[in-house]
Amino acid sequence: MLEFAVITGVKAFMVLNVLLLTCAWTTYLERRFLARMQSRIGPNTAGYRGLLTPIADLIKLLFKEDFIPAAAHKPLYLLAPLMAFIPAMLPLAVIPFGSTINLFGREINLVVSDFNLGLLFILAMTSLGIYGIIMAGWSPNSKFSLLGGLRSSAQMISYEIGLGMSLIGVIMLAGTLNLVELVEQQSSILDWYIVKQPVGFVLYLICAFAETNRSPFDLPEAESELVGGYHTEYSSMRFGLFFVGEYANMVTVSAVATTVFLGGWQGPFLPPVLWFVIKCFAFLFFYIWVRGSLPRFRYDQLMKFGWFVLIPIALANILITALFVLL
Amino acid sequence: MADLRLMLPELILFAWAMMMLMYGVIRKNVGGNTMIYLAMLGVVITGFSIPMTGYGIAFGGTFFVDKVSVFFKMIFLGAAFFAAASSSSLLEKLKSDHGEYFTLILLSTVGMMFLISTNELITLYVALELTTIPLFVLAAYRKDSLQSSEAGLKYLILGAVSSAILLYGISMIYGLTGTTFINLAFGRLLEQSLGMLTLTQEVNMAFIIAMIMLIAGFGFKLALVPFHMWAPDVYEGAPTPVTSFLSVASKGAGVAAFARLFYSALPSFGEFYWGIMVGTLAAAAMIIGNITAVLQSNVKRMLAYSSIAHAGYLLIGFVSLPTTVNDTPFGPASIMFYMLAYLFANMGAFACAIAFEKNYGSYEIKDYQGLAKESPALALTFTIFLLSLAGIPPMVGFFAKYYIFLAGWPNYSWLVIVGILTSVISLYYYANIVKQMYFNRNETVLAKAHFDSPLVITLVLTVAGTILFGIFPESVIKFANNAFDAFPF
Amino acid sequence: MELAIFLMASALSIAASILVIIQRNPIASVMYLLTSFVSQVILFIMLNAAFLAMLQIIVYAGAILVLFLFVIMLLNLRREDFGKDIKLKFKPLAIAFAVVLLFETTVAISSSAMLERAQAQLPPEFGSVQAVGMELFTKYLYPFELTSILLIVAVLGAVVMAKKRL
Repeated sequence: MLEFAVITGVKAFMVLNVLLLTCAWTTYLERRFLARMQSRIGPNTAGYRGLLTPIADLIKLLFKEDFIPAAAHKPLYLLAPLMAFIPAMLPLAVIPFGSTINLFGREINLVVSDFNLGLLFILAMTSLGIYGIIMAGWSPNSKFSLLGGLRSSAQMISYEIGLGMSLIGVIMLAGTLNLVELVEQQSSILDWYIVKQPVGFVLYLICAFAETNRSPFDLPEAESELVGGYHTEYSSMRFGLFFVGEYANMVTVSAVATTVFLGGWQGPFLPPVLWFVIKCFAFLFFYIWVRGSLPRFRYDQLMKFGWFVLIPIALANILITALFVLL
Repeated sequence: MADLRLMLPELILFAWAMMMLMYGVIRKNVGGNTMIYLAMLGVVITGFSIPMTGYGIAFGGTFFVDKVSVFFKMIFLGAAFFAAASSSSLLEKLKSDHGEYFTLILLSTVGMMFLISTNELITLYVALELTTIPLFVLAAYRKDSLQSSEAGLKYLILGAVSSAILLYGISMIYGLTGTTFINLAFGRLLEQSLGMLTLTQEVNMAFIIAMIMLIAGFGFKLALVPFHMWAPDVYEGAPTPVTSFLSVASKGAGVAAFARLFYSALPSFGEFYWGIMVGTLAAAAMIIGNITAVLQSNVKRMLAYSSIAHAGYLLIGFVSLPTTVNDTPFGPASIMFYMLAYLFANMGAFACAIAFEKNYGSYEIKDYQGLAKESPALALTFTIFLLSLAGIPPMVGFFAKYYIFLAGWPNYSWLVIVGILTSVISLYYYANIVKQMYFNRNETVLAKAHFDSPLVITLVLTVAGTILFGIFPESVIKFANNAFDAFPF
Repeated sequence: MELAIFLMASALSIAASILVIIQRNPIASVMYLLTSFVSQVILFIMLNAAFLAMLQIIVYAGAILVLFLFVIMLLNLRREDFGKDIKLKFKPLAIAFAVVLLFETTVAISSSAMLERAQAQLPPEFGSVQAVGMELFTKYLYPFELTSILLIVAVLGAVVMAKKRL
């Protein structure tokens, strides 16, 4: 019992730290890549080629004034960043990032919790993420925040349906919700679910962009209309939490896509953990790439696309998969 | 497939409702009474499909068809038919023929038909919700009227609360027995008390709480007396055809489900507990309902209170379920007959009120003065219905009350005496309207009344039903008695 | 250990539920309801019903409560609109009834029949997705399908009520 607790605690601690560091340096990567795509140079002063930029950013955020609007609903205002941040981190608990390793004579599973309903747990945590945004939108008593909060929660509810449905095809083929088993099923590249469920994969990708409020679905923070969306009124580290939360969401979504569709840590030659990291970063790069190339949707287009295009396709995909499984 | 064949009437009605919805979407403003006739046609087709299904059990016992359910399905369909037929003046006011209005009525009827055909608590609950949710919307259907919106909202809140109470009772029963099938549940309760007819103390306590919850839940749905506060406001505010549907179909469905649940639950220990409780509720409903009805000046409100009283009469039949007259269980049969009588008389009375409102624009009783002189036909039909509701001999209402009292007499004679006394009170307020129509002169001359054809169909059929079943009650009562030989199925 | 978790989760759930009804600010009420749901999730997991627990989060916390919040936000209530504590005429009576009910329910639930059922050995499959699915699509297929009609009605009703002109 004690041994289990210690091992799990260490694993959780490491995963959280790696996640936070990844988030920090993803912002750096994003700025560099975007700059390249737009023929700029990007941040290059702090450290070697600007590698210390995230730390500089962090220090800047920490020393800014922590401002609370006078008309704000204080408890919710203070709680909101945490509510946005925590659910973004939790899904990593069930994602396997490698096979077992031998350490000090013990078999250690490289997953924080081998939970039977892992996929459902991820969906559940994603759905909790909305609260932070809604609360952040409502509590400061500001119209930009409110509009941003409404927009983003409507968007997230709509695309959550598509997100869940895009995974159902995989679940039906796999017959399990356990992510460890899911990865073990995908031992060769032909068994990857991206091959078996290409439509599901594309749907997941699109919905994931919307779920994380990323370009081209980044309407909640459309600067030109809404100033900063739901975090308009936030400053200092509270803003930082939203920021990190958004990147943590990206990392999580990438990790889930890797696990569910791209065979997780499975791969030849290189060690499993490395494969996992490579696949994840490929996704993160894709995120940045899309941000650099696509313009933003209009709000009505976004909702129409979600309800009239994505969900019907997802339903059709489920139907076809069901027929396939049955026959 | 055999399972689905048993469910044929429900499926037809559901399909018809969906078709009407689609039709209403595709063809805006068909005009005239097309939608009304469509709805009536759907109900009639469904009615004809009922005898074709036969009797049996389907879906692992969650659905079954027996004679009782067939009888009640006919009653619900009749109520839906009359409610749809008397809707034309409502549609005129709404200035469009709403397909979804009829869809909601038909779907509510589907819910009632499912409700009466089940022996399983989850299905019972879902079907009950299916019955009431369309009614919330229907009650608030006149969005231009504050009263109607108030009615819808009140009904919604009360409906939600009562559903919660009911669910709590259901969960207690599940906790006690580990099954949601009513017939199994009570068998298991008996087992736990070691086959004895009295329960152990602890089981007893939990069982009583469950029973109280169920009775309170159904009490809200049926607007029995301590739970009746919502009924007059809802009945007055809702559009009148909806009120008539509410007062007959939804009440009938409630009583039927209530009786089904408790009669299946009937090991003889049960009867002792809920017999007294339900009997008290019945007495309160009859007394309060009838006395308050006397004080009303609005026809819809008066009929609302009188419907509370009628629920009380129905409950006499219900508590006397195991009573036998000439070796046949008579209680259930008397409930069934009472529902039939109530269907014709109450739907007819509401149709008359609608006809009067359409021509003279009022629901106030004092405005009925001198109606007999200007439109004797309307006055006469209204009189027939009122007398039937009061229980005057040639009408069907007399036999309904007679059978109910007959069934209740052996075990619950005090309840029957209350029933007879309150019937006398009810005669006062029913006759008051008759007096207004026939003996009071009106200074302002009323115009001659005009009727639209669906309303005429309603009035003719309800009058025919009220008188014919009053003269020949035997066949129905025989059917009802036979039905209960096999009850619970 | 297990008992401690149970006590904490249930105390949290009860406290949050009470706060839901005594809070005047609807947004705060919803947040307490969320707290209550999440603590119930813990209870569900302790009862070997992990699937139900996940559904509780996804459906109630993730969808229904969000819609509540959505509506409240759209209503855009100001703090003055929350009003003072409502004067309920029947408040003492209601509290008395609640206490009596609580007492009776406690006695009832501690009855031998319910306790026996609670201590019964669970089948190993209990609470898994497969087990729930099997029950739902065999024994309870018909009520399950019936709920789809119910949902149609609810959607239809909501549209009828919300649309100004049909």
